[in-house]
Amino acid sequence: MEKTRREFVKLVGGAALGAGVILAGKGRASAQTIPAKGAPSEPIRIGVMPGLTGVIGVPGTAAWRTTQIWADEVNASGGILGRKVELHMEEETTAKECVERFKKLTLEKKVDVIVGLMSTGNGLAVGPLAEELGQLWLAWDGTTQKGVEETMPKTKFAFKSIDNEAEAIGGAILTAKYFPKIKTIAGINNDYSYGRDCWESFQAVLKHFHPNVKAVEALWPKLGETDFTSHIAALKKAKPDLIMTSFWSGDVPILMKQAAAVGLFKTTKGCFTTGGGVHYTLKKEFTPEGLILGYNSMYFKWTDTWPLLTKFVKTYFDKYKEYPVYECDHAYFVLQAYKTAVEKCYSILGKWPTKEEVGKALSGIQVPSLSGYRGYREDNIMTCNFFMGITTHKNPYDFVTIDPVEVLTPSQIIKPTAETKLYEWIKGWKS
Amino acid sequence: MKPWQEILSLKSTKVLILIVVGLLFLGLPLFASQYVSYLMLTFFAYAVMVLGLNLLFGYTGLLSFGHAFFMAIGAYTAAFLTGKFSILYMEVILVVAVIISSILAALIGAICVRYIKIYFAMLTLAFGMLFYTFLLKFYYLTGGDEGMRVLRPYLLGFNLSEIPKMQYLTRSYYIYTLVILAILTFVMWKIVSSPFGLCLKAIRDNPEKAEYLGVSVKRYRWYAFIISGAYAAIGGALLAPAIGQVDPGLTYWTHSGTLVFMTLLGGFENFFGPLIGGVVYIFLQDKVMSLTTYWRFIFGAILAFLVIVAPGGIAGVISSLVKKEKGGE
Repeated sequence: MEKTRREFVKLVGGAALGAGVILAGKGRASAQTIPAKGAPSEPIRIGVMPGLTGVIGVPGTAAWRTTQIWADEVNASGGILGRKVELHMEEETTAKECVERFKKLTLEKKVDVIVGLMSTGNGLAVGPLAEELGQLWLAWDGTTQKGVEETMPKTKFAFKSIDNEAEAIGGAILTAKYFPKIKTIAGINNDYSYGRDCWESFQAVLKHFHPNVKAVEALWPKLGETDFTSHIAALKKAKPDLIMTSFWSGDVPILMKQAAAVGLFKTTKGCFTTGGGVHYTLKKEFTPEGLILGYNSMYFKWTDTWPLLTKFVKTYFDKYKEYPVYECDHAYFVLQAYKTAVEKCYSILGKWPTKEEVGKALSGIQVPSLSGYRGYREDNIMTCNFFMGITTHKNPYDFVTIDPVEVLTPSQIIKPTAETKLYEWIKGWKS
Repeated sequence: MKPWQEILSLKSTKVLILIVVGLLFLGLPLFASQYVSYLMLTFFAYAVMVLGLNLLFGYTGLLSFGHAFFMAIGAYTAAFLTGKFSILYMEVILVVAVIISSILAALIGAICVRYIKIYFAMLTLAFGMLFYTFLLKFYYLTGGDEGMRVLRPYLLGFNLSEIPKMQYLTRSYYIYTLVILAILTFVMWKIVSSPFGLCLKAIRDNPEKAEYLGVSVKRYRWYAFIISGAYAAIGGALLAPAIGQVDPGLTYWTHSGTLVFMTLLGGFENFFGPLIGGVVYIFLQDKVMSLTTYWRFIFGAILAFLVIVAPGGIAGVISSLVKKEKGGE
């Protein structure tokens, strides 16, 4: 799909502004050392809820690292309106414990804002709580979707991540574009709501473009599964033209290795809608070229013309000897959005804003982030570009990258409003 | 002897301690922070669960590793009744939770009590995991991994929806839950002190001898299983509105392990041991989780320490210290 002229201008303009933001930030570093007039003197308290163990451990750790990098940079440049930021971390675990942690951050630690949470199950528990407690919550990956339906279309304090099925829709758009001749598909997705919804929406989009495509197999390993030999045997037997998966964690390289051992992708095409979440683990020795690979909302090699990304990738690599994954930009964006909203409120009100006022400023906001311009819609759902492409070995790394890089815009991959019915929206597309 | 006479017949210090602890719990929201009151509220719910678990473990000698199953029955009953059927009366929720859990405990218990030791533990674990899988797989009914919302219930017929959430939880709901805990603690005390309770202890200590003396071992174990399941379900039903959301994780085996941990931590040989374990566990977890991401490691070390050094738990340590003190006098 072609990008519109408006979107192109936005990207290029964003790149220029991103550079400006960095330069402006450097200029401010020595100037802003005391709180702005009317701002409290104590630090801004930011609650952070990263998942650090289990399947969410890899992206959660990356997001937590990014949060610390951001805080160090902001503090080094004088804080937000002269106020330093202070991080209070509570781990994301079960829904019950997340509710407790959220209450602790709000009631005991009295944080100004809470960022984090990746699981939608936890988001569903915390979203209503944020509204009830009047606590700003800016989710990384967590939504308040039940399946593909939004349960909280109107919020004041809960700012939710982009719809869960966005990457599957993007994957299907690219499948239709790059592999127009496929007739049969098979899915291997985790047996939980995200996996099911991705498979359903992938099929809906693909069949919209190619109505004769037929699903010949659907496999549902449980989340956290590490042995896919029986699934791969079933996939080989089904002989689909293309295999789609929404795996996003440590299961991606495992599936890829076990598939490579039997040459699965020598004869079958593949679409890994979210595999880029662990991109640096996809080594060339077992990851073939020619697969569709989705990097979700940030691709570390997207461009050399966006200074925010270039600087961050270098900082992250120097510190952790890894190339950052998409969760980093979720973490970076929500903090940047909060900072911008506070500054915007202050410039209008002339005083330190309340949480409600910051919430109002966050609705509809657009800020430069690592992956270009990102924002929140008026219904407080995150919008951002998604990066996908075709795997290639032509790079200096020991893992695959993508070429060409396709930038899928929010208008292509997420329904326009929280109330919109996903499958009706897809049916309404031009073929 | 009438119940009040029985209480009066206790040593005056024990009565005094009970009164002080009761008043402390009752007045806690007046001087403690909302968050501490909230943690205490969750403790009340867990206290009901571990009271039930210990009837089976401490008094009957059967270690259940699937007790979170019944707890989840109570929690999902609250979710279904408030969310799907718009039945918001807490008393109805509790009654329905007791009925459903008792029926299920009667059916499952009829199979489980035929076995003891590791076989009983594994069977209960298996049933717990079966329910976990049911909750995940039948997602159209249960919400799957995303779980279900639990709406704010009416208390004694009063609709308290206008009160801010935390005020509701740490005042009205807090007192409501505390009163239920007090009643159920008293009922459990009566159960374990009754001839039925003595029979359970006899079964625990020597089932062959108890059988020989005319105690129907399997039947009594079955009764204990049903009572224990009902207690867990009440605890689950009380916990659900405090969380506001239920999910399959509540019935996962690690959650059953948490209940066992609380019981071991406090000491299963003492009536109040599991309650002490519950309150210590909840507040300790809260502190340790905030201090380090290696909190699971610390809890594992505590469990190992308990089993090796203090198998009687906190209550056992206190009891031996008191005995030593008396011996030294």
